[in-house]
Amino acid sequence: MSIHQQLEQVFRDVFNDDSLVLRDQMTSLDIAGWDSMAHINLMFSLEAAFGIQFKGNELAEFKDIGELEKYLEQKSAP
Amino acid sequence: MNPSQNSGPGSAIERGNYLRKSGDLARAVDAYLAAAARSEPVPASLCLALARTYLLLDDIASAVRWAVRVTDAGDDFPAWMTAVALVQNATRWKNVDPRRRSRVAIAGSFTTTQLQAILPLAALRLGIELEVTEAPYGQYRQELLNPASALYRNRPDFIILAVHEGEFALPSVSANPEREVATEISRWTSLWDAAALHSAGRVVQFNFALPAEQPFGHLGVRMPGTRYAMAQAVNAGLGSAAGTRVDILDCERLSALVGKERWLDPRYWHLSKQAVSLQVLPLMARHLAAVIAADLGLSRKCLVLDLDNTLWGGVIGEDGLAGIKLGGDATGESFVAFQEYILRLKHKGVILAACSKNNEVDAREPFESHPDMKLKLDDFAVFVANWDTKPDNLVRIAGILNIGLDALVFVDDNPVECAAVRRELPQVDVIALPEDPAYYARSLSRYLLFETASFTGEDAQRTAQYRARAEVASLEKSARSLEELWASLDMVATIAPFDEVNLPRIVQLIGKTNQFNLTTRRHGLPQVEAFTRNPDCIHFSLRLRDRFADHGLVGLIIAVQQRQIIEIDTWLMSCRVIGRSVEKTMLEYLYSHATRRGVTVIRGLYIPTAKNQLVKEIYGEMGFTRLEENSGAQAWEYDLAGVGPIKNHYIQIKTIGD
Repeated sequence: MSIHQQLEQVFRDVFNDDSLVLRDQMTSLDIAGWDSMAHINLMFSLEAAFGIQFKGNELAEFKDIGELEKYLEQKSAP
Repeated sequence: MNPSQNSGPGSAIERGNYLRKSGDLARAVDAYLAAAARSEPVPASLCLALARTYLLLDDIASAVRWAVRVTDAGDDFPAWMTAVALVQNATRWKNVDPRRRSRVAIAGSFTTTQLQAILPLAALRLGIELEVTEAPYGQYRQELLNPASALYRNRPDFIILAVHEGEFALPSVSANPEREVATEISRWTSLWDAAALHSAGRVVQFNFALPAEQPFGHLGVRMPGTRYAMAQAVNAGLGSAAGTRVDILDCERLSALVGKERWLDPRYWHLSKQAVSLQVLPLMARHLAAVIAADLGLSRKCLVLDLDNTLWGGVIGEDGLAGIKLGGDATGESFVAFQEYILRLKHKGVILAACSKNNEVDAREPFESHPDMKLKLDDFAVFVANWDTKPDNLVRIAGILNIGLDALVFVDDNPVECAAVRRELPQVDVIALPEDPAYYARSLSRYLLFETASFTGEDAQRTAQYRARAEVASLEKSARSLEELWASLDMVATIAPFDEVNLPRIVQLIGKTNQFNLTTRRHGLPQVEAFTRNPDCIHFSLRLRDRFADHGLVGLIIAVQQRQIIEIDTWLMSCRVIGRSVEKTMLEYLYSHATRRGVTVIRGLYIPTAKNQLVKEIYGEMGFTRLEENSGAQAWEYDLAGVGPIKNHYIQIKTIGD
C-alpha cells in the first residue's frame, strides 16, 4: 500500500466513511466531523498506523493533506 | 475455488475483502468467518470487516455483535473508535437487546470525550446498554454541588468522578502531612455527600494515578510529607471512606499495570488535556464497565474448568498419575501457580466446577492422590467427568447449581472446545488459555466479570453452599415427595430487619436476583436506606440453614403500609434455595407482622420480565386473589381475616431484633 492509500485508510476509519477520497488541498474544513476532538483521534491513529511520533507542536500544525502526506513520506523514507 | 489447506487468517481476510468489493457479500462473510474460526482472539481488523459486511447485508444484530468483539481483540484505540462509529450509526446504541440498561454521567477534570465515546462499547460487551453524558470540561465540582445541574437532571444511575492527580491541592512537601491528607480526602468525600443528597446515582470515584515524575525519588516513600507519600495516603483513605457506598476505579493500579510512562503521554496532555493517554483508554473503559456491571449484578458466578492440560500438563487417562506434569519442573510449577490463583478466586466467592472429557475415576485420581494438587475435590461445587460434549455438560452444570448459563465462565486449553461453546452457548463467557501454561494465571486474571461490588461472609462460603445444594439435588431423587424432602432437611429460617451489617448483601441481592423476583426493582443503597428510615416500611431478610449447610442471607421483603393495606414493593429470593418452600415462610412472617400492625390486606404485584416467569403464579399459589391487570403488571390481594393465617410447617422461624 502506498503512503497515500494508507493515509486514506486511516481517514476512512477515523471518519467512518468508506468512500472518502483524499486530495492534497483538503483541510479540516473539507471533511465532515473534523473537529478538535476528531483531530486528536486522527493524530493518534496516524501515529499508530505509521509507527511514528509527532513532536508536540507538529500535532496541530499541518496546513493541508498534501503537507501531511509529504511529512509521512519523509518519515517513512529508508 | 481451490482454497489452500495452509492459508492462514491473513489470506482468508484478503479473499473476503476481494469478494466484498466485487459485491459477493454472502461469500465474503463465509471467508471472514472461516478466518475467524482459526484465530483466537479474532483480530480487530477481522471483527470490523465482518461488522461492515453484515451492515451491508442489513443484518444489524450480527454487525453489532462483531463490532463489540473488537473489545476482545486487544486495547487498540483506533479500532475501538471505528467500532464505536459502526454501532453508533447502525443503532444509536438502542435496542440491541441488552441484559441491563443504565445511564451514566461522567464528570471529569480532564478531557473525557473519548472515554464517553468508547464506554458504551465496553459496556455492551458485558450486556449493558449504556447512555453516557459528559459534564462540561473541568466542571465536576460545580455539577455535583449544584442540585439543579444538568448532570442531576439526567437522573444518572452512575456518576463517574473522572479526576486525576493534578487536581490535588497538596504541596510538594508539607510539614503537616496528616492534616493535608485529611483535608484532601474530605474534599472528595464532600462531593460524594453532595451526590448522595441530590441524586440516587452511585458514585464511581477514580483514585489517583501517581505520576512517573517524582522529584524525591526513593526518598519520597520514606517521608510522609512528600506529595508522593501523601498521594498514596489519600488513595488509601479514599478506599476506606468509600466502603460500600461508593465505587472506586483503582487508577493507581491500572497505571502501574500499563506503566506510568504509558499512562500519560505529555504531548497529548499539553495539546488537549488527555490525562490518560488514548492507548490506555480502552483498558480503562473495560475496567470501568466491569465495575458498573458488578453493581448491576452482572458478575459471573461460576468458573468451569477443564482438567487435562488445564489444571495439569498431559492427559491423566493416558499418562497416568506419575506421567502428568504438576509441580517439579518449571512447566509443572506453572500449573501449580494456576491452581493457586483459582483457589484465590474461590476464596473471594467464585464457585468452581470441573468439566472434563474423561472417565470419572481417572479424572478424580490426581485430586485424591497427587501430592502437588492445590485444588481438592471439595473445592468444586460440581464435578463432571464423562464423554458428553462440553456444551451439554455446561447446561448440566448450570442445571445442578440452578444458575443461568450467563453466570458461567468456561476455561479450556483446547481452541476447538472453546469454539464449540462460543457457537452453541453464546451466553457463556469463554476464556481461551494461551499456549504457554506459565501465562494461564495471568490470562485468567485479565477476565473482568469476576469483579464484584462487595464481599460478604456469604461470598466466602459460596462453593460449600452450592456443593450442599448439589447434595440436596441427589437427595431429591431419593425422596418420594417434595414434602418428604422438606421434612428431611431440618430447615431453620432466621429472620431479621435490615441493618448495617446485612445491608451490603441485601443491596447485592436486589441488584442481581432475576428469577425469584416479583418486581425486579433495582433499588440501590440510598433507596434501601430510605426504606429503613421509613416507619411505615416493613423490611426483613431471611437466612436459611439446613442439615447440610448455612445458605446465608437468601431472601428479603420490602413492604410499605398505608393505613390497613400493606403493599409488597420488593420480594425476592436467591435461586439457590428455590423449591424449598421458603417463600411460604417469608409470607408467614409478613402475615404475623402485618396482623400486629392492624393490617387487613396484603397487596402484591407481579411485574413480568424475561427471567421471572417462575414466580408468575406465586401469589395465586399462596392464596392471594388476582385483581386487574395493569400494563403487563398483575396485582394480587390477600385478605387477612377472610383467608386466615399462612403457615409453613417445614421451616422453623427464629427472629432477631424485632
